[in-house]
Amino acid sequence: MTAVAVREPGTPAVFGRAAAAEWLRLRTVRTTWWCLLAAAVTIVGIGVIMAYDADDVYATGELPPATAAGEFGVMLGQFALLVLVLLAVTQEYASGAITPTLQWTPRRGLLLAARLTVPVLAATAAGVLLALTADITAWLIADLPFSPGDVADSLGRVAAVLLAGGALAVGVGLLLRSTAGALATVFLLQLVLPFLLPAFGVQWMADLGELLPGTGAIWMLLGEPDMTAGQATALLVGWAALAVGLGGASLLRRDAG
Amino acid sequence: MIEVRGLTKRYGAVTAVDDLTFDVAPGKVTGFLGPNGAGKSTTMRMILGLDRPTSGSALVGGRPFPRLAEPLRAAGALLDAGAVHPGRSGRDHLRVAARTHGIPLRRVDEVIDQVGLGPAARRRVKGYSLGMRQRLGIATALIGDPAVLLFDEPMNGLDLDGVRWIRRLVRGLADEGRTVLLSSHLMSEMEQTADHLVIIGRGRLIADASFQEVMRGQGSGRKVRVRTPSTDQLAGALLRRGAVVHPSGDGELLVEGVTAEVVGDVALEEAVAVHRLAEEHSSLEQIYLDLTGDSVQYRVAGAPELVAQR
Ligand SMILES: Nc1ncnc2c1ncn2[C@@H]1O[C@H](COP(=O)(O)OP(=O)(O)O)[C@@H](O)[C@H]1O
Ligand SMILES: [Mg+2]
Repeated sequence: MTAVAVREPGTPAVFGRAAAAEWLRLRTVRTTWWCLLAAAVTIVGIGVIMAYDADDVYATGELPPATAAGEFGVMLGQFALLVLVLLAVTQEYASGAITPTLQWTPRRGLLLAARLTVPVLAATAAGVLLALTADITAWLIADLPFSPGDVADSLGRVAAVLLAGGALAVGVGLLLRSTAGALATVFLLQLVLPFLLPAFGVQWMADLGELLPGTGAIWMLLGEPDMTAGQATALLVGWAALAVGLGGASLLRRDAG
Repeated sequence: MIEVRGLTKRYGAVTAVDDLTFDVAPGKVTGFLGPNGAGKSTTMRMILGLDRPTSGSALVGGRPFPRLAEPLRAAGALLDAGAVHPGRSGRDHLRVAARTHGIPLRRVDEVIDQVGLGPAARRRVKGYSLGMRQRLGIATALIGDPAVLLFDEPMNGLDLDGVRWIRRLVRGLADEGRTVLLSSHLMSEMEQTADHLVIIGRGRLIADASFQEVMRGQGSGRKVRVRTPSTDQLAGALLRRGAVVHPSGDGELLVEGVTAEVVGDVALEEAVAVHRLAEEHSSLEQIYLDLTGDSVQYRVAGAPELVAQR
């Protein structure tokens, strides 16, 4: 064998390859497709049910906008998409596949960037498309009011929820490395506790609930509870940044797995 | 070329790798030998930047592996054949590897052929036998046509055909001028395979020499086996002559440090009957056990003790 001096690609090229590999990883496992199917059924399915329910509301004359379909759908269906993102991270620790992954992309900062970008963007794009499908379904079937301006605004909020939730899932996955542990944590932070804590009627519990990322997501999608857009955004961004910070540090500093 | 310098890894109170320094030269198969738990896997993982050394460093082709933009072109490794996503096909696993380096798809099919994975490559890894996983792991190691290869216990669990195949493969890779580091906990796997041996025990370097040197170095410590009805009397007399004496059951003694002539003479002086007297040459396995004996962490209970302390 002869050694040939090859010029090494620069950082942007290495990132591009890592991202392309990440995309291929996502496409070549069945769990991704199962999660997408579950998301489609939940988001569009809820949208259609909303649309039929709206028929009852006809009598009162009070019609929700078509965008409510996508928003309700994403409120529940986001979990299928977050599972997709989470498994892209934790499955590698469960199977040991993180070892070859880090041999192929040993620059861990680049791996973190690719792993944050590709699955999160894929899940967000899928969620936005599905929400749009739900909106259009509700409009066509139930004749709910549909305005392009509303839809654009609504899809923006859907995207924000999924971007932040996806980043939270990646961070928690990298930090805990266990599918069950990370799934439980994301589920609690994003859905269970924000709904459960205020339900006890104890003030400090309700206050605590208002500090969770899921509360920001609920506000974005359902307009509840009473808070400003700034506060909701701060919750989403703050928790996502915290999770990515801790999870990223774990990837960069700890042994491979 | 792999350069390991003062490499150390501690897990809490356990020192898995203890100040290791050695080089692995190109064009040879270097056997990396040591009992289970000696620190072989940990060393290889540190060379590849998977585990962070407590101290020390390792260079692959003159550079730290974790900084490389195209690491698969510098070094390929088979560490744990099971460490693959079970739901992905073998070919897709290789495609992901190729994509991280801009390696064309043609090369994926080339290495699939080279390791003889064949049509199984399109099946999901979940259904692979250990042998097929090893082949997939080796295909992954070869995909970037690297100058350095690391194989961690690649023969473990393989049948004879598999072992022969690995032997031919590593020999061929070394003959092409590549650097090959091949770990094992069995000396027998190194026979007919390794040109050079790096032997470790409890994380420390025990030997770093050619296969022949290791054989010769230990060959001088020949032993004498003697059978006598008066073991205690003969053992006492031999101990006074400075020999090391091990009982070996059935009225036999294994004597180190003196020649067969001396044992015979001592027996005559003591007027002890000798029913058998023979020099023993160490087997390959024996040399290895002698070298690593002190380093084995868990001894078999009831191992022979010295007859008497000097
Ligand atoms: N992640 C870990 N945490 C704690 N101890 C470990 C870890 N990995 C390895 N060890 C310990 O380090 C020592 C060396 O292990 P290893 O490198 O696997 O040895 P070998 O490959 O030679 O059998 C063993 O005592 C093992 O128990
Ligand atoms: Mg090992």
